Amino acid sequence: MGATDGGREPGSGQFVQRLAAATCSLLGIGSTVPVLAQEEPTWALDTSFLYYGESDERVQDLSLNVLARRLFADDKVLSFGLVYDSLTGASPSGAIPLNEVQTFTRPSGNDVYTVQPGELPLDDTFLDTRYALTATWQQPLGRLYTGSVGLSFSTEYDYTHAGLNFGITRDFNKRNTTLSLGAAIARDEIDPEGGAPLPLAPMGNIGDLSARRPGTEDKDVVDLLIGVTQVVNEHLLVQVNYSLSDSSGYLNDPYKILTVVDPATGEGIARVPAPGTAGPLHEYRFESRPDQRTKHSLFVQGKYYMGGKVLDVSWRYMTDDWEIDSHTLEAKLRWPLGDRGWVEPHLRFYTQTEAEFYRPSLPVGELPEFASADYRLAPFDAWTAGLKYGFRTASGNEAGIRLEYYRQDGSVPDGLLIGNQDGDALSPELDAVILTVSYGFDL
Amino acid sequence: MASPCEVLSRAGRTVAREQLRAVAEEAWRIEEKFSRYRTGNVVDRINTAQGTPVDVDPETADLLDFAAELHRLSDGRFDITSGVLREVWTFDGSDRLPTAREVGRVLGRVGWDKATWVRPRLTLAPGMQIDLGGIGKEYAVDRAALLAAALDSAPCLINFGGDLMAVGETNHVPWQVGIEAVGPNGGNPARYIALARGALATSGDARRFLLRDGVRYSHILDPRSGWPVTGAPRSVTVAADTCTQAGMLSTLAMLMGREAEAFLARQGVRYWCMR
Repeated sequence: MGATDGGREPGSGQFVQRLAAATCSLLGIGSTVPVLAQEEPTWALDTSFLYYGESDERVQDLSLNVLARRLFADDKVLSFGLVYDSLTGASPSGAIPLNEVQTFTRPSGNDVYTVQPGELPLDDTFLDTRYALTATWQQPLGRLYTGSVGLSFSTEYDYTHAGLNFGITRDFNKRNTTLSLGAAIARDEIDPEGGAPLPLAPMGNIGDLSARRPGTEDKDVVDLLIGVTQVVNEHLLVQVNYSLSDSSGYLNDPYKILTVVDPATGEGIARVPAPGTAGPLHEYRFESRPDQRTKHSLFVQGKYYMGGKVLDVSWRYMTDDWEIDSHTLEAKLRWPLGDRGWVEPHLRFYTQTEAEFYRPSLPVGELPEFASADYRLAPFDAWTAGLKYGFRTASGNEAGIRLEYYRQDGSVPDGLLIGNQDGDALSPELDAVILTVSYGFDL
Repeated sequence: MASPCEVLSRAGRTVAREQLRAVAEEAWRIEEKFSRYRTGNVVDRINTAQGTPVDVDPETADLLDFAAELHRLSDGRFDITSGVLREVWTFDGSDRLPTAREVGRVLGRVGWDKATWVRPRLTLAPGMQIDLGGIGKEYAVDRAALLAAALDSAPCLINFGGDLMAVGETNHVPWQVGIEAVGPNGGNPARYIALARGALATSGDARRFLLRDGVRYSHILDPRSGWPVTGAPRSVTVAADTCTQAGMLSTLAMLMGREAEAFLARQGVRYWCMR
């Protein structure tokens, strides 16, 4: 068709060249500059690698994190998250340092380990490899609503989690106000090494699993959230969230113990293992927590944008019926650096009061209904200071590196110390460094 | 331009204002000069000449040269004299189709080959009219983009009712252009295109069509038959160096009906069709 008059057939190869020539003479330009357009990628991947290392050979974590998001037509988004954690090291078992060698039966009941005088007893049982997967579907519902539904699953050596979550947001006020509602339910299963110790059961000799409940234990968690995000003006965005979390079922840490002490001196009570077996040389009891916990938390955040810089300040207040109250104050400042880079210093302060049943040790003869020496239920303060450097590569991908220093200081209240116990020795400070390297790219 | 027009500029405030003023003045000038709804302009003079020759100015002559070339290149599918077909076709979503007889009667006054164009003189047969609406908006975008680029080198995006052109430096984050979905989700972006430089133009019949016996008649009329093209996509977006090229490619793709995607693929351009 176009053989004799090249380009007459709109399908012929010369068509675009002749259109370009006609356009150039219409616009009075010599040539056109090539278009630079591409469809936004369908998959966006955010990857990060994290190293967390506590001082004194305590917990070390290597974590890989991948978040993949696919944008569909009409603002529908499917996202998948994958986390791989590899934990090594040990964490405090709850037992206090003594002036004598201490021997503990491992949770499996198959072996014992010893801790030198004056050393803080650590236990390495929980440390493991963990995988977590999440999947979320989000889509607009009509013009002003957005709905989401998600699944979460994680598994490690002795713990499995499965959860379901829902969310809905509605925009008001020319999209300057967003109201969010969220709900999540989860069922966790714990299959403790050697079975779950009975509450406050004494630690037995090797091979003695009589005070254990074999099989798995469950925990159910329900979370509800309501939040409002408000664009105040072109510089300021404010968000306020209230959330309620209710846990019920097995809430103990099966590997946490308390040292049984002399009510006058606060020293350990010697114990003699049965003849022919190895076992603890002092008396210890497994912890006991209530089987129900309700937490309320309030989160307030302000983001202030000023000439390319962003200041992000937040406060979280949490209170629960175990009588733990905590506050988290955090501030970040994103500061542009050069054409494509930025630095972001940040500072976080955390403080909490102890659970009503927290006690560093248990006087002999006393058997309260609930007791735990877990340092996470103790009163402590923690500071985190960090600096991130991020930049956008020439191809538009985002890379970042962040270094953080974490310091935790506990202080056992005087009223909970017995006899000669030294509060500093019972809650030694903890230092950790956190290094995060992140890279986001599109497929 | 019968649609919202905007200028997005990364230039400083003062320069951005100058760009906005230059673009707005150019858009108004082109509309004033080439709109077939205005009286007294060159298009009106041509359309009311009743068979007498009309001499036109160089800019109008350039547009007519372009239209003549496009008519040739498109094998008669692109025709600035097809506007009179609207005397019998009203695309209001209804089922009122004209009769073949009515269409045939109007078709006698359609066809660039019935016109005599010897620059700078155009002679139309009596009853014929031209309509530069099929080129005017894209031409205005390109003209406006040239003016904006001459004032500053910072990135600047000219958007006249969805036909747009980006000019200026390309070392910034590209403009994010959403393409409207068709069907029940109309109004929401179906996909996003990152545009650092060059043009995007969209043709579609999302809101203008006739529906009869389950057949959808798009508002894209084939000037050779006088009937709407069938089997055309609901929306065609094309990326090209200039808005004029992008607009002509998307319009022609619609005119190719079922062959739209095949036609665009052969041109080696980036395109997005929604059916």
